[in-house]
Amino acid sequence: MIQLFNVYKSFGSKNPALIDVSLTVEKGDFVFITGPSGAGKTTLLKIIFCTEKPSSGHALVDGRNLNRINDRELAFLRRRIGVVFQDFKLLPRRNVFENVALALEIMGFPLPMIRRKVHQTLRYLGLANKEGYYPPQLSGGEQQRVAIARAIINNPLILLADEPTGNLDPDLTMEIMALLKEIHIRGTTVIVATHSQELLKDTRRRIVTLNKGRIV
Amino acid sequence: MKITFFRYFVRQTLANIFDNRLVHLVGVGTMVIAFLIFDAFILVFVNLNHWTEEWGRPLTMSIYFKGTPERVVLESIEKELLHFPGVTIKRFISKDDAMETLRRQLGGKAGLLDGLEENPLPASLEIILSRDKTGDSLPYQMKTRMETIDGVDEVQYSQEWIKRFQAIMEAIKLIGIVFGGLLFLAALFVITNTIKLTIYSRKDEIEILKLVGATNRFVKIPFLIEGSIQGFLGGSLALIILFLVYITAITKVDLGIGFASLDIIFLSPQFTLFLLLMSIIIGFIGSTISLGRFFRT
Ligand SMILES: Nc1ncnc2c1ncn2[C@@H]1O[C@H](COP(=O)(O)OP(=O)(O)O)[C@@H](O)[C@H]1O
Ligand SMILES: [Mg+2]
Repeated sequence: MIQLFNVYKSFGSKNPALIDVSLTVEKGDFVFITGPSGAGKTTLLKIIFCTEKPSSGHALVDGRNLNRINDRELAFLRRRIGVVFQDFKLLPRRNVFENVALALEIMGFPLPMIRRKVHQTLRYLGLANKEGYYPPQLSGGEQQRVAIARAIINNPLILLADEPTGNLDPDLTMEIMALLKEIHIRGTTVIVATHSQELLKDTRRRIVTLNKGRIV
Repeated sequence: MKITFFRYFVRQTLANIFDNRLVHLVGVGTMVIAFLIFDAFILVFVNLNHWTEEWGRPLTMSIYFKGTPERVVLESIEKELLHFPGVTIKRFISKDDAMETLRRQLGGKAGLLDGLEENPLPASLEIILSRDKTGDSLPYQMKTRMETIDGVDEVQYSQEWIKRFQAIMEAIKLIGIVFGGLLFLAALFVITNTIKLTIYSRKDEIEILKLVGATNRFVKIPFLIEGSIQGFLGGSLALIILFLVYITAITKVDLGIGFASLDIIFLSPQFTLFLLLMSIIIGFIGSTISLGRFFRT
């Protein structure tokens, strides 16, 4: 599903963000990417999502080489990858319904179908009564769930989550992790980047640890 | 699928305009100024063109006869001439009159003419055409008509006017095209940057759309529609303002000194429509250019 071959990524003069990273994630895997702040976790997710290109090396996602993908193919690939960004990336002047519906509208689905799917997903995430709210009116945990709703509404092949529990209290953290587990059970390949060791304490899932850009 | 996209684009465009009313307003305002300068220039140009055409029309026309025309023929020709609008008959010049004039012109060398056995100069009828009543094609129509009449040899009208003014007109046209082209580019530049403002004010939204998998075309279309709408609004406002200024100007001029002969015309309806269409196209091209820059970086 995802294969990285000797990926380097450097942003100018500083130490590279990723050094010789090779990684294979199979369909249906659940993987944690961990490591201290600045280790390159976010950069690794960005490479997979193709918002950054490797400085050298290759990245293959769903059979596509991201070094040789055009804008249109990339757009279609992204429809099959859901992402929960660290900063959520919700539109502050669109309400919850509109923010989530966006992921379907770009594909040209008919409106009744969009309505039905958005209602269903928001209900599933416990946001049914927040449809008309705007992101600034929501708590961090609620915004997080809106971002997840938008990421999973298309039943993506892959779900990438960057610090999904970053600034949540322990109860909400448990809730979000349970949610990701459920999404995984429904067949989605899930990759979670987190610096929190707490989160990994009793997990039997695969853990990839980064340190200063290298897999350790 | 298509209908859903269409609805999305319309809603998105309206939402964009409404959410960014201020930026949009500034954009339209800038366009009004840019288009107003451009349209005003076109209006001045059209009027210069109109005046040179007016003044460039032939003033006098001469009908030359074979031999000396009979009185009846002359009268019937005069009668027919007066059917044409704006025609004044100046005088009849007989063969002898023509010779007399020539002698006077030659002065001391008039002796040259003594050797002639008969007078080779034709008799002619001189008429005056009034500038404002004569259409472009009238002199030519009159010429062809008169030349079919028995006894008429040839009809000539003073083309020097036309030639002189044609040269001026060509020069004005050239300057007009160059200057108009520059103004067009300036307007396009201003408008491109204005639209860039509206695009930058929504760069977060564009980023998110692309992250959830929107194609470039999908992201661009609402901006292209918006640019065209801005072009339309800016263009129509500029034309309305120009028309109001025009109305005020002509009433002022009429009340003032007798400038009546130097009439100022407004753009023809077709030309007005053409300028409006141009404004829309400039809005569209402006958005395309701004989007191109934005998507490249
Ligand atoms: N866009 C960028 N420009 C310059 N440096 C960057 C950029 N993104 C990340 N970095 C650098 O790359 C390194 C890894 O960052 P990141 O992947 O965000 O780490 P993590 O998510 O593990 O905290 C850091 O040193 C960071 O400063
Ligand atoms: Mg990070």
